Amino acid sequence: MKIGTLAILTIGVALLLALPWLVSDSMLNAAVQMLIAALFAMAFGLLCGRAGMLSFGHAAYFGVGAFAAVHAMNAFNGEGLLPTPLLPLVGAGTGMISGLIAGYFSTKRTGVYFAMITLALAELLHALAPHLKAVFGGEAGISSFRMPAWGFTFGSLSEVYYLTLIWTLGCILLLYLFSKTPLGRLALGLRENAHRMRFLGYNTHALGTLIFAVSAMFAGIAGALQSLNLEAANYVVLESHISTAVVLNSFIGGVRVFFGPAIGGALMTFFGYITSDLTRVWLLYQGIIFVLVMMFMPRGIVGEVIERFRHSSLRGLAQTAGTMALRVASLAIAAFGGVFMIEFIQRFLSSDYRATAGNGNWPDIALFSYVWSPVSVLPWAFGIGLFAIGIALTMIVNRRAAAAQEASA
Amino acid sequence: MALRNLLGSTAAASFVICAGAVAAEPLKIALVETLSGPQASTGLLYRDAVNYQIGKLNAAGGFGGQPIELMEYDNQGGPVGAADRVRAAISDGADVILQGSSSAVAGQVTEDVRKYNLRNAGNEILYINLGGEAMELTGEKCHFYHFRTSPNAAIRVNTLLDGMKDAGVLGDRVYAINQNYSWGVDFQNNTVAGSERLGFEVVEQTLHDVNKIQDFAPYVARIQAADVNSVISGNWSNDLLLLMKAVSGAGIDVKFGTAFLDQPGNIGNAGAVAEGHFLSAPFNPEVNPEETTAFVEDYKAVTGHYPSYVEPATVFGVMLLGEALKNVEPTEDGLNAEDLALALEQATVQTPMGQISMRSDDHQVILPMIVQEVSKDAAFKADDTEFGFVPVKVIAAEDAVQPVQDSCNMKRPG
Amino acid sequence: MDQLVFALLNGTIYGLLLFMVSAGLTLIFGMMGVLNFAHASFYMLGAYFAYTLEPLIGFWLALVVSPLLVMGLGILVERFILRRVHAHGHAHELLVTFGLAVVIAEVIKMVYGNFPVEYRVPPELSFAAFTLSGLDYPFYRIFMGAVAVAMFIAIYLLLTRTRVGIVVRSAIYRPQTVEALGHNVPLVFMSVFGIGAAMAGLAGAVAGAFYTTNPNMALELGVIVFVVVVVGGLGSMGGAMAASLLIGITNSLAVGSDFRMADLLSVFGLGDWAEGVGGLLTINLSSLAATLPFFIMLLVLVLRPSGLMGEKE
Repeated sequence: MKIGTLAILTIGVALLLALPWLVSDSMLNAAVQMLIAALFAMAFGLLCGRAGMLSFGHAAYFGVGAFAAVHAMNAFNGEGLLPTPLLPLVGAGTGMISGLIAGYFSTKRTGVYFAMITLALAELLHALAPHLKAVFGGEAGISSFRMPAWGFTFGSLSEVYYLTLIWTLGCILLLYLFSKTPLGRLALGLRENAHRMRFLGYNTHALGTLIFAVSAMFAGIAGALQSLNLEAANYVVLESHISTAVVLNSFIGGVRVFFGPAIGGALMTFFGYITSDLTRVWLLYQGIIFVLVMMFMPRGIVGEVIERFRHSSLRGLAQTAGTMALRVASLAIAAFGGVFMIEFIQRFLSSDYRATAGNGNWPDIALFSYVWSPVSVLPWAFGIGLFAIGIALTMIVNRRAAAAQEASA
Repeated sequence: MALRNLLGSTAAASFVICAGAVAAEPLKIALVETLSGPQASTGLLYRDAVNYQIGKLNAAGGFGGQPIELMEYDNQGGPVGAADRVRAAISDGADVILQGSSSAVAGQVTEDVRKYNLRNAGNEILYINLGGEAMELTGEKCHFYHFRTSPNAAIRVNTLLDGMKDAGVLGDRVYAINQNYSWGVDFQNNTVAGSERLGFEVVEQTLHDVNKIQDFAPYVARIQAADVNSVISGNWSNDLLLLMKAVSGAGIDVKFGTAFLDQPGNIGNAGAVAEGHFLSAPFNPEVNPEETTAFVEDYKAVTGHYPSYVEPATVFGVMLLGEALKNVEPTEDGLNAEDLALALEQATVQTPMGQISMRSDDHQVILPMIVQEVSKDAAFKADDTEFGFVPVKVIAAEDAVQPVQDSCNMKRPG
Repeated sequence: MDQLVFALLNGTIYGLLLFMVSAGLTLIFGMMGVLNFAHASFYMLGAYFAYTLEPLIGFWLALVVSPLLVMGLGILVERFILRRVHAHGHAHELLVTFGLAVVIAEVIKMVYGNFPVEYRVPPELSFAAFTLSGLDYPFYRIFMGAVAVAMFIAIYLLLTRTRVGIVVRSAIYRPQTVEALGHNVPLVFMSVFGIGAAMAGLAGAVAGAFYTTNPNMALELGVIVFVVVVVGGLGSMGGAMAASLLIGITNSLAVGSDFRMADLLSVFGLGDWAEGVGGLLTINLSSLAATLPFFIMLLVLVLRPSGLMGEKE
C-alpha cells in the first residue's frame, strides 16, 4: 500500500471517529445509514466486482441477516451468549448459511442466467415472507429493543454510531484481507476466465459457491446492523429495489475498485437522505445520475478518479487536478441550469399550480428565492442558458485537456 | 463524549443568556409521509390537508404566541425509511409526529415513538396517526402517546353494513374479498362478525396479494359462482379499480361496499362502472350543506382542489389537535407531550360533519360516518366526471363507535 | 366445467397480453444480449400516449400513432444511450436501462400526476362477446387477445419468411459475420429495438384502456415479463409465446383453487402434522398465485437453463 493511500485512510478513519462531535444528530443518523449501505455494497462488490457475478437478489441475504438479528435480540435480551454488540454475528451466520444454499444453485449458471436465478430466489422469498407471519411478522414486521450490555446503554445515537462504525470498518478490513488470500485471488480468476480455471483443475462451482457465501455473510452483517439501528425488521427489506439499489450504488462508486462500492453506497444514501426532503422529484435526479454515470463514467466515480491520477508525475498531478476542477465547475453550472429547469417545470406542472392557473391567468412561480413568470422568456432562458453554457464550457475544457495530452505525448 | 457535552452546555448557556430577548422555541410538528415513489399519491394528500389546517391554526395565533412550525419528511414509502425519518424529526426537535398512509408504516412509527419515550422520560413526543386503520394500532400496540384520528376497520365495516342494509342492497349473501395483510384481514373479520347481527351469510372469503394482481377475472368467476348480492371489500387503489372493472365487465349485478372508493382517480378511471356502489367514509360534501360548503370552498381556495379521500378526516384530526393545544401551557422547548396527551384525551371539536372527540381508553377518535353511494345526482362531482357521492345514511358519532379492544393495555403516566 | 373454461380463457388472454410486452424484450435480448429494464416503461408510455391522443384523433388512430411514438423514443434510446454504453459491457447496459426506467416513471408522474388517468375502453367496444352460465365475457378481452395473436403471426412471418428476417435472425447468432457480409448491423439493432419498443407500446395502448393507466403500471408488469422471457428461452419468440401462456394459465388456475399443501399431505396421513406445522403448508394456493411465476422460473433455470425453447446459452 502506498504512503498516500495510507495517509488518506488514516485521515478518513480519524474523521469518522470524530464525527459525533462534528455534525448534528440528524447527520449522525444519516451517517449510520451510510455506513450500513457502504458495508452492504462492499459485500456485493466482492461478488460482482471481484468474482464477476452480477447478483440481482442481494436483498435476500441482507434481509435474512436483519431478521435473524431481530429474533436473536428478542430471544437473548442482549444478555448471555449474545450481548447486543455481538448480534451482527447472528447476521453473519445466517447470511453465510443462506448464501451457501442459494450460491450452490445460482453459481451452477453464469452471466444473465446467474443474475436471473438470484432474482428469482429473492423474489420468491419476498413473495412468501408476508405469508410466514411467525418468521417475518407480516406487514407490521418484528420489533425489538436494544438492551444495555458491557456497560453501554445503546440508547443514544452516538453509541449506535460507534457500534456500526466498528463493525463496518472491521468488516471492510476483513474483506481487504480476504482479497489477499488464495481464495480471494482465485475469485479474480473466476471473473477473468472461468474455463481456464476449470482446465487448471479448480472446482469452479465450489469456488463460486464459497465466494457467494462470503459475500452473503457480509450482507447479513449489514442487515443485522440495520436491525440493531432500527430495532425492527420488516419484510420490505426483501424488496427488489433494495437489491437493485445495491447494484447501482456499487457501480456508481466503481465496482472493480476496492473502495468503490463503499463510496458509492455512502454517497447515494447521503444523496437520498438530503434530497428527499428538499424536492419531490429526487427519484428523477437519482435516475438521471444513474444514466449519466453509466454513460460517461463507466468505471464509477472512484474508478475514474484513480484512473486519472494513477500514472501522473507530481507536475502532471497538479495539471490533472486543475483540469478536473475546471470540469467539475463547468458541470456544476450545467447541473444548476438543469436542476432549475426540472424544478421549474415540476412546479409548473404540479396539480397545485394547475388548479390556480388557467384562462390566460399564469401566476408567478417561486423558485430559489425569486419569483418567475412562466409566460415570460426569462426563467426558460435562464435555465436552458445556464445548462448550455455549462455544457459548452465542459466541452472546451475536455478539448483543451485532450490537446494538452496530445502535445505532451 | 465529554467534549461534546461541554460544547452542548456552552451552547445552552449562551442560549440562556440570549433568551432574555428571544421567546421560547416554537411548537414543532413533523409530518413523516410518503412524498415520493410509487405510493406518494396518498402521502401528498395528507400533506395538503395538514398544511391547510396548520395554516388555519397559525392564522388563529399559533401556539404560545408563535406560529407552529411544520416540518416535512419523506419516509420514501416504507417502514425502514419512516424509522429513519422519525429519528431525523426528533433530532430536529419535533414535539409531535404526524403520519397517515399505510398501517405498516404506522406500526413502525408508533413502536419507534414508544421506544423513544421509554428512553427519554420527561422529554416525550406524541404520535398522531392520521390514517393507519389496522386494529392493532389501538389494540396490542396501543400506548399513551399514540392517537388515531381516522376511523378503523371495525368502524368502517359496521357503518358500511348498516348503511347498505338500510338501503336494501346488502342482501343475505355476501362475498368478502380483501387484500392479504392486517388491514384486509381486519376488514374480513369484521364483515364476518357483523353477519349475525344483520342477518346475512358471508358465502365466501378471499384474501389476495396486495397490488400484484393485474387480472382479476379469475376472482370474478368465483364471485359469480358464489351467487351473492353484495361484495364487501377493503381494497384500495388498483386492487379496487381492477376488481370493480372486472366484475362489471362480466355483467354480474352485485353492489360493492368499500372503504376507499373515493380515492382521487378511481371514479375518473372506473366511470360508469362505479355507479351504484357504496362507500363508508368520515365525510361527504352534501351533509350539513351550509358549513360544509364553506369548508370545501375555503379548502379549494387554499389548496386548489376540493377535499376528498383522506383529506377531510385529516383536517378534522388536526382541528382536534388545535383544540387540545388551547389547554396546554407552552414550555421552553415547545410543550410537554404528557400535558398535550392529557388535553387531547379530553378534546372535542365541532366539524362540518358533527362533533368528534377522542376516547381516552384506547385513543381512538369517535366520529360520525357517512355511508354514500356513487350517483349522477351528486352535487359535487368526482374527478371531473358526471358522478359523485350521494349520502345514503349519516351515522352519528355515538352510533358509529365500536367497543375498545381487550388487547389494548395502556400504561398511563404517573 | 364452465368455471374451468373461464379460467382457461382468462389465463390465455392474460398470457397473450404478457406475450405482447415480452415479445419485444426477447427479441432485443436475443440480438443485443441486453435485458432491457426499461421495456415495461415503453408499455406504460404506450398507454399514456394513447390516452393523450385519444381525444384528439380518436381511439383507433391513437392505437396506431402511439406505438409509432414509442418506437421513435426507443430508437433514440438505442442510438444515443445504449450504443454509447454498449462498449462498457452488459452490466452497464442493463443498469442504464434501469436508470431510464426510473426517469420515465418520474417524468410520467410529473406530467400526468400520481393518480390513474381516465383512459377507458371506448363505449362501442364495451359489450359482452358471449355469455357462459350467466357470466358475460367482455368483447374487449377477445380483442386484446386477437391483437396479440395478429402481432405474433406478423412477427413470425417477418422473421421466417422475409430477407430482413433472415438478416435479423443471423444477426442474433453471429453479429460479426453478418457485418462482414456487408449488412449494416447497427441499423438492424436500432430497428429491432424500435420495433420491440413499438410492440410494448401497442400492448400498453390496448391494455391500458382495459386495466388502469397509472404511473406504477410499468413496475407492476416489469418483473413478470422478465420471467416470461427467461422461461421461454432468451431470444426465442415461440418460447415467449409458450411461456406467456403457461404463466397466464397457471396464474388463473391457481387463483381459482383452494388447494393447500396440507390437503396433499393428508392423502398420506400427514394432514394433522401439516396443520400443526402451519406456515407454508397451510397457505391457500390462491394466495400464493403471485409467487408461482418465480417458482416456475427457478425450476426452468435449474433444470433447463436455456428455457422452454431457447437454443443459445
